[in-house]
Amino acid sequence: MPKQFSSLVVQRLLLVGAILLVWWLGASRLPSFVLPGPQKVAMALSALWNSESFAKDVAATCRRVFLGFGAATVVGTALGLALGASRALARFFEPLLAVFNTVSSAIWAIFAIIWFGISDATTVFVVFMTAMPLILTNVWQGAQTVDAHYVDLARSFHMSRTQVLLKIYGPTILPYFFSGARLAFGFGWRVSLVAETIGSANGIGYRLRQAADLVQTDQVFAWTVLLVGLMLLLESCLLKPAERWLFRWKSFSLASRASSLQTT
Amino acid sequence: MYLMDWYSSLRLAGDSFSAARAPRASFESGAASVSDWGAPAIKATAIAKSFGGSLVLDAIDLAVRPGEILALIGPSGCGKSTLLNILSGLLSPDAGELVIDGTPARQFDDWRRVAYMFQEDRLLPWRTVRDNVAFGLESARLPLAERRRRAADALSLVGLEAVADAWPHELSGGMRSRVALARSLAVRPTLLLMDEPFSRLDPETRSQMHDEVLRIHAGSGMTVVFVTHDMEEAVVLADRIVRLVPRPGRIAEEVDLDDLPRPRIPTDADVAERVRQLRVRS
Repeated sequence: MPKQFSSLVVQRLLLVGAILLVWWLGASRLPSFVLPGPQKVAMALSALWNSESFAKDVAATCRRVFLGFGAATVVGTALGLALGASRALARFFEPLLAVFNTVSSAIWAIFAIIWFGISDATTVFVVFMTAMPLILTNVWQGAQTVDAHYVDLARSFHMSRTQVLLKIYGPTILPYFFSGARLAFGFGWRVSLVAETIGSANGIGYRLRQAADLVQTDQVFAWTVLLVGLMLLLESCLLKPAERWLFRWKSFSLASRASSLQTT
Repeated sequence: MYLMDWYSSLRLAGDSFSAARAPRASFESGAASVSDWGAPAIKATAIAKSFGGSLVLDAIDLAVRPGEILALIGPSGCGKSTLLNILSGLLSPDAGELVIDGTPARQFDDWRRVAYMFQEDRLLPWRTVRDNVAFGLESARLPLAERRRRAADALSLVGLEAVADAWPHELSGGMRSRVALARSLAVRPTLLLMDEPFSRLDPETRSQMHDEVLRIHAGSGMTVVFVTHDMEEAVVLADRIVRLVPRPGRIAEEVDLDDLPRPRIPTDADVAERVRQLRVRS
């Protein structure tokens, strides 16, 4: 195990080194407004980190993403449950879902500009419209897999509708919801930047647009590195552990424990 | 008071069946005839039920005395599972009257003391064994500590305290079945209904479950009604067997097994003879 781990670390370091090398070689042959070198980007990064507006921009973008995502979660879950509960409702609304899934986020962004102008609502709306159908579809799919046997079991104990929803539907749908929400959050985060470039006066997307207008390619690179870092951090510190804990009952890696149980 | 004494009486029951069944003698006060039962645990009168225009049950009269183990047998389609569902209150009959503990079913409000055990174990895969056993207690307003305690009691009753923290997929079929039994017992039922609960188990595990059910029943005084298509299971477990015939589902005969001594071993001549007789008639 430690041997495998150290070999993995070596491989990762080799990969990073190779990328830096290619980057550095490329940058030395191209003008810096096309491809700034690693050194220049590192400097831009530290300048960005220490700048006054950095924290405000990150906070503004995060606020919009979480607002849009939160609303999408609530609405998407409620609608998904409703469609899952009623076949007639699902048949009626199904075409609408296909339409929502095919409309590009860029089109929602244009509509948002027309409807909301330069404001928080523009970005929140675009994030919502991107994330909501994804969550809805997944929750709906999950609701269709609910085992009628378990519902009967709950009924045999005279549980109320709310209890059946919480104790049977909830846990069955949770894995579907989780994968939908994860996808929706990733998409929402990416489209929020697009929305901010055209419909906002601050936030990460707005700064990216500014850097592009002034041809500050090193700034764009610095933001990219930061965003990738932020997403990786979120993934490894929040999503992965949450997933592992929520779905621990699915894990079959406890084979040794299982066999010891069987023999008792 | 009964509530509190339930488990302590179970623990006192001991392992020997003859000793364990002794308390029931006082319950029944000698040879039981309809007149000295007192109030039956369940009394069904002229029950009828149809699905989609076809009559599934017709003119069912059935009385189950408190503490009795009653088996419902018959070919598939005779409505025995439907009858069990009606007795459980999950399904209402089209006609007829159902009286539980002297109260008409419509006014009966203690359904939580009626436990239902399904053909499949139906353990929720996302809950640990402990939380599966506590599942049935969550519909009543019980404090968490009390639910935990009752679940632990029920688990120890089936001898599975050691795997309380395991996940269902880690257990063998027999263990899963015992967890399902513990889940039914955790609500401390006065009436336990079982729909072919052990039909999916291998013969050896099934007979272990029979012993388990008899041991637990002996100490609790609860009434048990179960559906089976296995004549041997019916003879080993039941005090009385009710045989149904299909189209429409109605009672063909009742077989009293009070004269058959316990414990009943399927290979004993007497037991085997009763099983054979039942098979011939159905």
